[in-house]
Amino acid sequence: MRYVIIGSSAAGAQAAEELCALDKDSKIVVVSQEGYPPYSRCLISRYADGRLLESDLYFKTKDFFKKCGVEENLHTTAAKIDRAAKKLICENAKEIEYDKLLIATGARPRFPKIDGLDLSGVTCFHSLDDAYRVAESVAFVKEAVVVGAGFVGLEAAYALTRLGIKVTVVERCSQILPNQLDIIASKIIQRDLEELGVEVILNESLISINGTESVYDVTTADKAHIKCEFVVIATGITPNKELAEQAGLDTDRGILVDEFLMTSDANIFAAGDCIEIQDVSTGKRTLSATWFNAVLQAKFASHNMAGGRRRYTGAVGIQNAVQFHQIPAISFGKTLIEDESSDGYEVISIHSGNVYKKLVLKEDKICGMIFVGDIAKSGFYAALIRQEVDVSKYRDKLLDQDFSYAYFKDENFGQMDPYKTIPACWGSPVWWLQRAQCMGIGS
Amino acid sequence: MKRLMVKLERCSGCKRCELACMEEHSAQKNYCLATLGAPEPKTRIFVESINDRPMPVVCRHCNEPLCVSACMAGCMQKDPVTGIVNNMGHEQQCVGCWMCIMACPYGVINPSFDVAQTGKNAFAQALKCDFCPERETPACVVACPNDVLEAEEIKE
Ligand SMILES: Cc1cc2nc3c(=O)[nH]c(=O)nc-3n(C[C@H](O)[C@H](O)[C@H](O)COP(=O)(O)OP(=O)(O)OC[C@H]3O[C@@H](n4cnc5c(N)ncnc54)[C@H](O)[C@@H]3O)c2cc1C
Repeated sequence: MRYVIIGSSAAGAQAAEELCALDKDSKIVVVSQEGYPPYSRCLISRYADGRLLESDLYFKTKDFFKKCGVEENLHTTAAKIDRAAKKLICENAKEIEYDKLLIATGARPRFPKIDGLDLSGVTCFHSLDDAYRVAESVAFVKEAVVVGAGFVGLEAAYALTRLGIKVTVVERCSQILPNQLDIIASKIIQRDLEELGVEVILNESLISINGTESVYDVTTADKAHIKCEFVVIATGITPNKELAEQAGLDTDRGILVDEFLMTSDANIFAAGDCIEIQDVSTGKRTLSATWFNAVLQAKFASHNMAGGRRRYTGAVGIQNAVQFHQIPAISFGKTLIEDESSDGYEVISIHSGNVYKKLVLKEDKICGMIFVGDIAKSGFYAALIRQEVDVSKYRDKLLDQDFSYAYFKDENFGQMDPYKTIPACWGSPVWWLQRAQCMGIGS
Repeated sequence: MKRLMVKLERCSGCKRCELACMEEHSAQKNYCLATLGAPEPKTRIFVESINDRPMPVVCRHCNEPLCVSACMAGCMQKDPVTGIVNNMGHEQQCVGCWMCIMACPYGVINPSFDVAQTGKNAFAQALKCDFCPERETPACVVACPNDVLEAEEIKE
């Protein structure tokens, strides 16, 4: 079999690894626009501010493709999929034939329609190249503006602050992390960031970036000017679906796949930020957009490309873990409800100081969670959401300190059961033997 | 491959496994001394309770570990030989992103808030069962007076 993978990030690298293990005689070709071995996009802020070295970002090790015997084409952009000839045509005119193709092209930053985006000193924050730009900025930048207080924007703001640059974050919504957190949680995290000296301006948008060749300030909708030499645009991402779209595959906001991660062509699969998923927590189709999703999808997709039939279920769009400064936070599933009384949603929460825990329930199930300050056992709640477990029996215990996996011992979440029953009843010789053993008699 | 098995009926909830775990994973290798110094000792095995019965919740070193898939640094790995899932001692380092904590269905991974003092970079670490690499048998198994815990050889 000839497997061709477009993109070598979370999804692409994972798929290459899985396919190597699944099908030893196969030929695997990876095509990547970027010029690096697979690196963790999520860690670029830690590289930018010097906490990690470039080599620390290689999440599969630097020579991973060579070790697996995968043919790697760096700096190569896939331009067209010829489905009839089962061939991938690259921008450098290289043609690669495939039996099964995986599209793992991820997403790219989305830019707002404002003036001045082409000035020097304006960047997005999405790749290692962007991280270099941020790291280099320290030489000439004293003040910076970050547009968008989403996850990526705040990561950039945190990195710039650690580099000793004065940062102002401008956010259109009335809170930071508007897609992940509610207002209470966002205030706790905002305070945590502000303690470091990050300035956050809410309910404000940018209308232009000003300068002659490089930036000298930005203008907000309020006609305020903020002086800065550096601007990071972090206003969201958009899936790289064009390749699939032009090949006539079904797409919407992202590439559409079935539960086997197959596109509308049986020889083409897709995984990662470029696809849409069916979110169990909301019941709606949504963008995938997280590392964890990308890796899981790649596992299922590669299995199915190698002839298996593994169903990818329990997908959730929002799954974020953050800790910028002191306070950790996790949000998972449907955390935002427009009107708490409508649609049968119910919210339970506890809040004291910097600890805030909230669960969103619908009918007998948990469908969303926000944990701030204390994130212990959050994975257990996430599993209840993913697996749509009925929690009605424990309605009033859900946020108790001692509510734990112990309550769902029979639910193994697909893994080996470590609990052994002792085949003995009270008073039987075996029982006595065991008691004696327990007390150390005879051992 | 070895896994931790639990004979539930025998557990009396004495929590000696938790103490032994904290002790084993402290720099001082002694619980009393460890509580005095930093980092604050933390257990990686949890005796929870339900209906007034104790129930140890352990890491299963899963066949398909979600913590490994979730790890964006690539440091959480399942050893192909021993089957043990661990985030320490690999080329990549734990950066305390907490994705594994969000992913583990059993809730047995926890954050350390004390930043690791070793290595060139200081990050808080995710703490999980490592099957006590310095020992033949994990500390919790040795400490259990009721023979609840067992490191059993299993086939995958
Ligand atoms: C700063 C930052 C922080 C983040 N932090 C987190 C986090 O903490 N947790 C989390 O879950 N997620 C986080 N994310 C999101 C996470 O990085 C993505 O979900 C993940 O990288 C998706 O992986 P992917 O393989 O689908 O796509 P991408 O990582 O987007 O990679 C796609 C690759 O395909 C290449 N490509 C695209 N088109 C072509 C083409 N035509 N030909 C050849 N190659 C092509 C691209 O150059 C790219 O290298 C973060 C993202 C950023 C930017």
